[in-house]
Amino acid sequence: MMELRKTIAGRIALTAIATVILLFLALPIVVILVTSFSNNAFAAFPPQAWTLNWYKALFADGSKWPAALTLSAFVACLSTLFSLIIGVTAATALTRSELPLRSAVYALVLGPLVIPQIVTALGLFLLFEPAAMLGSPIAIALGHTVLASPIAVLILIATLRGIDERLEDAAASMGAGRLTIARRITFPLAAPGMIAAAIFSFITSFDEFYISQFLSSVDTVTLPVQVYNSLTFDIDPSVTAVSALLTAFAILALGLVALVRWLGSGRQDSLLSVENTTGVATPGGDAV
Amino acid sequence: MAATLTAGTPAGPRKLLASRRTRVGILYALPVVVYLLVLFVYPIFTTLFLSLKNADGSLTLHWYADALTGVNLSVLFTTLRISAETALFSLVFGFILANAISRLKPLWAGLAMLVVVVPHFVSALVRTYGWIIMLGDKGLVNESVPGGPYQLLYNELGVVIGTTSMMLPYTVLLLYGVMRGVDRRLLAAAASMGAGRVTIFRRVYLPLVAPGLASAGLLSFILSLGYYITPALMGGPNQTMIATLINQQVTKENQWNGAAAQGVILLLLTFAGLLLVRLVSSLGASRKKRSAS
Repeated sequence: MMELRKTIAGRIALTAIATVILLFLALPIVVILVTSFSNNAFAAFPPQAWTLNWYKALFADGSKWPAALTLSAFVACLSTLFSLIIGVTAATALTRSELPLRSAVYALVLGPLVIPQIVTALGLFLLFEPAAMLGSPIAIALGHTVLASPIAVLILIATLRGIDERLEDAAASMGAGRLTIARRITFPLAAPGMIAAAIFSFITSFDEFYISQFLSSVDTVTLPVQVYNSLTFDIDPSVTAVSALLTAFAILALGLVALVRWLGSGRQDSLLSVENTTGVATPGGDAV
Repeated sequence: MAATLTAGTPAGPRKLLASRRTRVGILYALPVVVYLLVLFVYPIFTTLFLSLKNADGSLTLHWYADALTGVNLSVLFTTLRISAETALFSLVFGFILANAISRLKPLWAGLAMLVVVVPHFVSALVRTYGWIIMLGDKGLVNESVPGGPYQLLYNELGVVIGTTSMMLPYTVLLLYGVMRGVDRRLLAAAASMGAGRVTIFRRVYLPLVAPGLASAGLLSFILSLGYYITPALMGGPNQTMIATLINQQVTKENQWNGAAAQGVILLLLTFAGLLLVRLVSSLGASRKKRSAS
């Protein structure tokens, strides 16, 4: 009985501490969302009065925010396109072919994820500065792709590994050409993974700070660099509204990924269940 | 599972196909390889060469000597100290949180993981700004804790609070995976032999998760080394880290060689950390094998 009571007390204590740690993670975001509607954007929390002024100020004359947002969106779209091209080809090479030096290619792909981003940013600065490409949106997008493409490759490798290769083999045995297989079998099954890879590439580029800061010029300032500048140099209260919008955007993007995954999860199962009802043995099928 | 099937097919056609499959592989691997060689590997080698060159092009170690003396050396020590403090706190918090989540029912565990993962995808700048509002003189913390206002910003306390919250999602995710992998039957077996809860935790559970703990701590240490968004915004002059210094040297002082040397030092520290991670995980793997046999 003594032992039991101690366990319950211990459990309550553990739950309480865990809740505090969860708050530690979530509170900064909640505070940003609330403050963006607060009359007093800098000092008091919780707010005394509510306003939409910071959101209105985003689009006021002389505001730098629309330009920064447009630039970031453009750069992120370019970077997503590059990442998808690199991601799809690289993932195909790493999962559907016999690639010499496979582990070296894999290590190369992981490189940008483990090297400190500031070092990558410095290297890209040293590459683009002599080429007089500082401030070029293309250069920033090319730089972001170094960080975004490995993530796309990893997501797409997982996607392609998750697709049962026997479906492709079966199509081939029925006389389908390689293009037909890619178009009718692999692509539809890989589509959710490709959408997820695109969304993560977009977020990576949209949020990227170090490379943007090194490669930007006075005229080309991405959204994160503008946020940083607003927090350090010119105190612009609309930065709260921007932050809240960025938060909403991140949550929306994650929700979208979850939705796509959920919608996509049914497809292969239904294809495989046809196989099951026809009595074909599926070795390891339960692992799918 | 594809391997089990292909193993059954005759070797002949496979071999014929192999050369085509190899060619396709090389062709498809080209974009990523060329891209990363040009925009990732080559720039890093440029950095390395630049850190070893004088203004007139002759080789020198001057920039390293410069990076390892005076103010620059203290920046290096500050970086190591703040990274170590961050790693320690995110490891302790990460351990408690991951452990608590791994005991929850699936629905609650999923919700808790959502609270861990969602902030991770919100811009670090935004989260840092949230902390600045929260820890300010009239912020949530100072308003709700009596006896204040406490100085929670622009010092090391602020920096460690901020960076810990940035690294915590990584450690929680890593440790949660490790803890889910622990065979609960081992704990039950120890209990059936009469071991108390503390003994089970200390002699069975902790040794099983120890390699994961070490890698999670090292990972947050490595990630903190090159980080400066939060330290630059929440710290004071005494919390300048290597990455901030690199940025200043490039953007304000046009001192590329010095920045390159700092970058290479950061790179070497990262490699040392990664080597330790590998060592720890291989030790963990061999221990697991031994206990299984």
